[in-house]
Amino acid sequence: MLREKYKDEIEQILSRYPVRRSALLPLLWLAQTEEEYVTEAAMKEIAGILRITPPQVYEVVTFYTMFNLRPVGKFHIQVCKSLMCGLVGSDVLLGWLQARLGISPGQTTPDRLFTLSTVECLASCGTGPMMQINDEYYERVTEERVDRILADLKRDGTSPLKSGPFILPQLAGSEK
Amino acid sequence: MATTTTETVRLTIDGVPVTVPKGTLVIEAARQMGVMIPHFCYHPKLKPDANCRMCLVEIERMPKLQTSCSTPVAEGMVVHTATTVVNEAHKSVLEFILANHPLDCPVCDQGGRCDLQDFSHEYTPTTSRFLEVKRVFPKEYFSALIETQMNRCVQCLRCVRYCDEVMDVKALAPSGRGTMTEIKHFTTHQLDCEFCGGCVQICPVGAITSRLDLYEFRPWMLKRADTVCTYCGDGCHITIQTKGNDLIEVNSAHGAGRNNGDLCARGFFGYHATTHPDRLQSPLLRRNGELVPATWEEALEFVAETCIALKLKHGPDAFAGLIASRCTNEDLYVFQKFMRLVIGTNRIDGSARYGHINGVRALRRVQGTHRWTVAFEDIVGAEVLLLVGTNITETNPITGLKVKEAVKKYNATLLTIEALVPAIGTISNIANLSAHHFSVHPERFGNVVLGLIKAVVEGGLVAQTLTQRAPAYVEAISQTLRAIPWETLESVTGATSQALMEAARAFVAARRAVVLVGQGVLRTPGGFGVATNLLDLLLLTGKHDRPGCGLAPLAEENNDQGAVEMGALAEFLPGPSDLDDRAARERLAGLWKEELPQRPGATLMQILGDARAGNVKALFVVGENPIGSLPRAAQAKEALERLELLVCQELFLTDTARLAHVVLPACSYAEKDGTFTNTEGHVQAVRHAIDPIGESRPDWEILSALSVLMGYPIEYGDAKEILKEIRNLIPGYGLLGPAPATPRSDEAVVERYLREGYAEDVGARYQLTGAGSFDMAQPATSSAESDRRDAGKVKDGLQLTLVVGQTLFHSGKLSTRAKGLMEVQNAGSLGLNPSDADRIGVTDGDRVRLVNQAGEMTTSVRRLDRVPEGMAVFPEHFDEEARRLLTVSVDPVTQVPYCKSAKVRIERL
Amino acid sequence: MPTYEKILLKNMEMPGYTGLLADYERVGGYQALRKVLGKIAPADVTAMVTKSGLRGRGGAGFPTGVKWGFLPKDYTGPKYLCCNADESEPGTFKDRQLIERDPHQMLEGIAIACYAIGAETAYIYIRGEFSLGARILERALAEARAAGYVGTNVLRTGVNIDIWLHRGAGAYICGEETALLESLEGKRGLPRVKPPFPATHGLYSKPTVVNNVETLANLPYIVNRGPEWFASIGSPPKSTGTRVFCVSGHIKRPGNYEVPMGITFRELIFEHAGGMRSQKPLKAIIPGGASAAFFTPQHLDVKLDFESVAQAGSMLGSGGVTVMEEGTSMVWAALRLMEFFYHESCGKCSPCREGSSWLVQTLRRIINRRGRMEDLETLTDLCKNIAGRTVCAFGDAEIAPVLSTLQYWRDEYEELIRAAEPSGAAELVMPARH
Ligand SMILES: Cc1cc2nc3c(=O)[nH]c(=O)nc-3n(C[C@H](O)[C@H](O)[C@H](O)COP(=O)(O)O)c2cc1C
Ligand code: SF4
Ligand code: FES
Repeated sequence: MLREKYKDEIEQILSRYPVRRSALLPLLWLAQTEEEYVTEAAMKEIAGILRITPPQVYEVVTFYTMFNLRPVGKFHIQVCKSLMCGLVGSDVLLGWLQARLGISPGQTTPDRLFTLSTVECLASCGTGPMMQINDEYYERVTEERVDRILADLKRDGTSPLKSGPFILPQLAGSEK
Repeated sequence: MATTTTETVRLTIDGVPVTVPKGTLVIEAARQMGVMIPHFCYHPKLKPDANCRMCLVEIERMPKLQTSCSTPVAEGMVVHTATTVVNEAHKSVLEFILANHPLDCPVCDQGGRCDLQDFSHEYTPTTSRFLEVKRVFPKEYFSALIETQMNRCVQCLRCVRYCDEVMDVKALAPSGRGTMTEIKHFTTHQLDCEFCGGCVQICPVGAITSRLDLYEFRPWMLKRADTVCTYCGDGCHITIQTKGNDLIEVNSAHGAGRNNGDLCARGFFGYHATTHPDRLQSPLLRRNGELVPATWEEALEFVAETCIALKLKHGPDAFAGLIASRCTNEDLYVFQKFMRLVIGTNRIDGSARYGHINGVRALRRVQGTHRWTVAFEDIVGAEVLLLVGTNITETNPITGLKVKEAVKKYNATLLTIEALVPAIGTISNIANLSAHHFSVHPERFGNVVLGLIKAVVEGGLVAQTLTQRAPAYVEAISQTLRAIPWETLESVTGATSQALMEAARAFVAARRAVVLVGQGVLRTPGGFGVATNLLDLLLLTGKHDRPGCGLAPLAEENNDQGAVEMGALAEFLPGPSDLDDRAARERLAGLWKEELPQRPGATLMQILGDARAGNVKALFVVGENPIGSLPRAAQAKEALERLELLVCQELFLTDTARLAHVVLPACSYAEKDGTFTNTEGHVQAVRHAIDPIGESRPDWEILSALSVLMGYPIEYGDAKEILKEIRNLIPGYGLLGPAPATPRSDEAVVERYLREGYAEDVGARYQLTGAGSFDMAQPATSSAESDRRDAGKVKDGLQLTLVVGQTLFHSGKLSTRAKGLMEVQNAGSLGLNPSDADRIGVTDGDRVRLVNQAGEMTTSVRRLDRVPEGMAVFPEHFDEEARRLLTVSVDPVTQVPYCKSAKVRIERL
Repeated sequence: MPTYEKILLKNMEMPGYTGLLADYERVGGYQALRKVLGKIAPADVTAMVTKSGLRGRGGAGFPTGVKWGFLPKDYTGPKYLCCNADESEPGTFKDRQLIERDPHQMLEGIAIACYAIGAETAYIYIRGEFSLGARILERALAEARAAGYVGTNVLRTGVNIDIWLHRGAGAYICGEETALLESLEGKRGLPRVKPPFPATHGLYSKPTVVNNVETLANLPYIVNRGPEWFASIGSPPKSTGTRVFCVSGHIKRPGNYEVPMGITFRELIFEHAGGMRSQKPLKAIIPGGASAAFFTPQHLDVKLDFESVAQAGSMLGSGGVTVMEEGTSMVWAALRLMEFFYHESCGKCSPCREGSSWLVQTLRRIINRRGRMEDLETLTDLCKNIAGRTVCAFGDAEIAPVLSTLQYWRDEYEELIRAAEPSGAAELVMPARH
């Protein structure tokens, strides 16, 4: 139950808005962080907290693409396939990933480590091709970096190749 | 409605000048002059959403085409609805809408009455340029009553908006986005909602349909009859569609009737009750202890002969009659005339006795009317609404919609006094919309009313004029209330004096205030007194004679009000006039050319008592079912078993009919003509939709036939002739316009009440009822605060108040025969507050035992947030076992039997 | 290469600049806020912004001061400011940099705007994917609160300015201002029908201003250095100040370039961004984000200001400049963008919803060698039928790539269609929802 575990946080969130329902996205984020995906129980609980009906929560969850209604792998790899990344090789990147992981977009590896998705523009068109893995961005991805990232993740659960704050143009071109 | 504006705007549509009220939408202005602008998402009941983009028009001096459904008129506006550009736009939008729409009209239930089909014929070529793959939604089971065909959806969201804006249910979720948006409920769960059918009715295409009539028909095959629903006192207009003698579906057109086309589950899905296979097909006569089929002649002759013999032997007051309010005015009128003239007794009563009479008697006593002084329009137009003891959505759903409209659309302030607590669920709960909600023990609503009145008199809110007009009256009330300290009041209501004061102020501040009082008050002890006190509240605040203000008792059965007006009750002659009203008696005698019986009437409980004592020998029962309605403690069965003649006119073999000597098959409302009078006093026409089932006959006709055999013929050619006679007695009856002309209160009666009438019982009425605050859930063992917390340990269960009441899906005496309604609810379960459920360690579906001195029952549990702690609710339509636990008390003034609650101990099985 | 004074990117390009409060204060941060709070009347701040000629950097380019002026004057109830940090327009990545590298700069801008319009509460609506940005902003907000720049009684002037971060969750449409408000209210992000406009009926139906991150980030400098100074930059009078252009695609040095408005595409692409990444010549330019009509090399000398770009048949939009080299299929480029629009159409309006799916499928068919010449007519028709008939500007946006590529590179479409195999068995696929 979110209500018990995150009592203060929920109170804090609610206090930011004059209308309870506004807290819906923040609470869904809380639920997704807690369980990796938004469970039915969480949707019902959130409806109760916000005094709306479960269908009103559900319709919102399904509108936003970042909420998962089913469990995803431990690492959710989301490759930007919009035009700008497409121009600099996102299809190739996707190809590598498919080959390395043995899955197509929408699928999860049998060990439940990786889920592969394609997404639309993530606002790093100047540093493409790029992908987001869980919360982190990985930019200017090359074949060799894909291998390192996957290995890092498997081994350490994280990778030093993830992006820090926005790469400034002066640094552009010089590989990290 | 809250701001009635008379400001108008002039504009030109297609070259024709028009003047419409300010704020009118262009699409409506056009409609008013006969120009139909094509549209899908627009519906006059809903806020414009302008999503379909179909209704584009050209408005001069605006750069782009505008959606006429969302654009209000403006002075001097010049609108074109049919230029080449506009036609082109309509065509192209339609082309988009059709792109993903399947071409399955031949198998679609909407075929023949589909907006999309109609507009397509008008605008599009027969071949589509869309060569691509149409979207396909995997078929999912939506619910037992409502089915979706999402491939056909045009995403106008009318269903979703209706469910939210009008019904306040919010059960439909548009899930996903873009073309793949799909109307669902909650994840993969099947629809769980009020099943009002509104989404089915408002869908402009065939995407949401009723399962009851899936694939049964094509619209043009159907015959239609416009009539009135019989499931509650709201009196909704319905159109029954039939094929042969089969009922295919029921709907109600937007704008039709007092319901404006809105219906509830009972109205929309309950129509199959009349054609249930158990309907009685022929008269039954008891032979050798068994009820066996007989001919009409045999049955009627038997009744007539027995009656004549019994009357000779015991006199007319050995007879009595009971009639159900689901009968038409014509039935009710002929019934009382039959009893009074042919039999010669006033000993008749009917289902209004179960509660409605309390409201009527209070109105007559204080203001000299027997009807509301307000109409539905006044509810919608009210600035403040006070709801007392009514879970209005479940008892009077459409009156409830008027309340919702007032609050949601016109920002009225809602005050509620109800046992149920606010809780968002799949059935709307009026308390959710309340500005001040007082949750109180179901038998103590009156205490909160006292609190409000105390706040009025002690907060200096009494109307000046009244203080001058009736100082003694004001003083008497004030004085009695002063004797009740706020602390005591707070402890017995759980409401703070501050909250009561705020509510009182809101009530006083409003120019238009309507008080709705429901079965929660009218059917519980003290109901008559509380209704009277509510009139005091209106008097004290100077509102009783203000336009748009008044007390509105909610009728439970569809023709409770008609039963009163037809004089089919112990204390009334038609009119209604009091039994001892000389002038009325004379007028009636003149018209009937016959003297009226002099002796007093008898109410339901008196009749049963007399039958038990052996003083009533013969009983006519028309549609009533005392055995099935009253708790065992009322000993109805024992009473009826002693009768020498029990005649039942019925649709089904009820518990009561099983005991009868003669059972006569009667027609349902769907097979007869006549009129009903709804809760607000609106008289409406009932029209037959199908031929009588089996050999059944209208109730009045049966009585008429009997009268002939008994030698006092009261004969009529048809129902209209009866109505004509009624009109002679009650001027204007049945001649009312689209909105009923509401009566004004009779100032002479008010004056008398203020001078002396109030004094009869002011001391008694202004007393608190019950002790202790609302939270009365107590472990049966005295010691156990710790037990309460630890659910598993409450071995001896909890002490609770059991309340049996109506639910949204069942009302009246026929709903359990409707297959549609039985799909939604076919058994009773005990609604418990989750905390109480935890205390005894039960969850949904677990079984519990309820025990008290009177008996015990077992049932399963449903946790319901809306049920307050300390209370348990059970649906009265499945309460056969529960009735064993209930006790009966009788109102000393109005003789209403109160039998809807009991103290019980609950324990887990 | 000409160099220009930078405004917004100046701090962050200083070596060692971290974006923490201390750094920002060191370079004069929050001085503008001190200057206005309680000292300059709110109406005068608005007048100053109007005078500066600042226009919205979110896409529509509406004059900021004028927008603020639409709020009801004699209204005393709550008002709101929403900072639009939803940045989801393909080709645009400037706000991300402003957020991640110099968060206080935009916070100060937000505070100034709140003061000017009389809002006590501001919400920063940040796209859900910017989780790093959200963390950075939360940290900055905590610093600003602790330092008294944000919260109740800011800088002991009696002014209250609460700023809250609100994360989206993956929906481009929530960048549209009324969809943003719906989303902020806990609903599906469907744009509202206008009128009424947010200025009178915005968040919770209260007067509301929605401004882009970059727009707001300019405010401290307008206050500090004066509106006249700002108005002298760029190509006055209609396009004043600098803009952060996001250059992407087949370019040598992709990235954000802050330059005065009014320089040419040629200068931006070939001087600042280093020219094409390979020997292949330039083929196409998207001048202002995915919603802007494509340009050809002939447009290289068009000036990067609102009017010039509009005159040349496109729009400056969000400032996302994407370049494509010779050899890039324009039908493919149009399809990629159309897939984006199809994926992101909220579904409210029939023309946009159905049109995007129809356009995507037709383009796919053409690429899959199953096109027909009539398709080109249909594509044009569909675009025209979407234009101007939808609730929000998304409808007009989604047709730009198709119409402009059809206009300039119709031959590529025809070629694909001519190559179509009459019996082509290519499979028709439903537009996929991921
Ligand atoms: C489909 C659509 C998407 C938009 N996305 C964004 C966005 O991501 N960020 C943004 O600042 N403005 C976006 N806008 C523009 C906003 O509606 C709004 O005009 C802007 O936030 C106003 O701020 P400004 O005046 O400072 O530019 C979008 C508009 C549309 C029609
Ligand atoms: S134009 Fe498209 S994105 Fe905008 S409201 Fe309409 S359907 Fe939604
Ligand atoms: S009816 Fe006007 S947009 Fe749908």
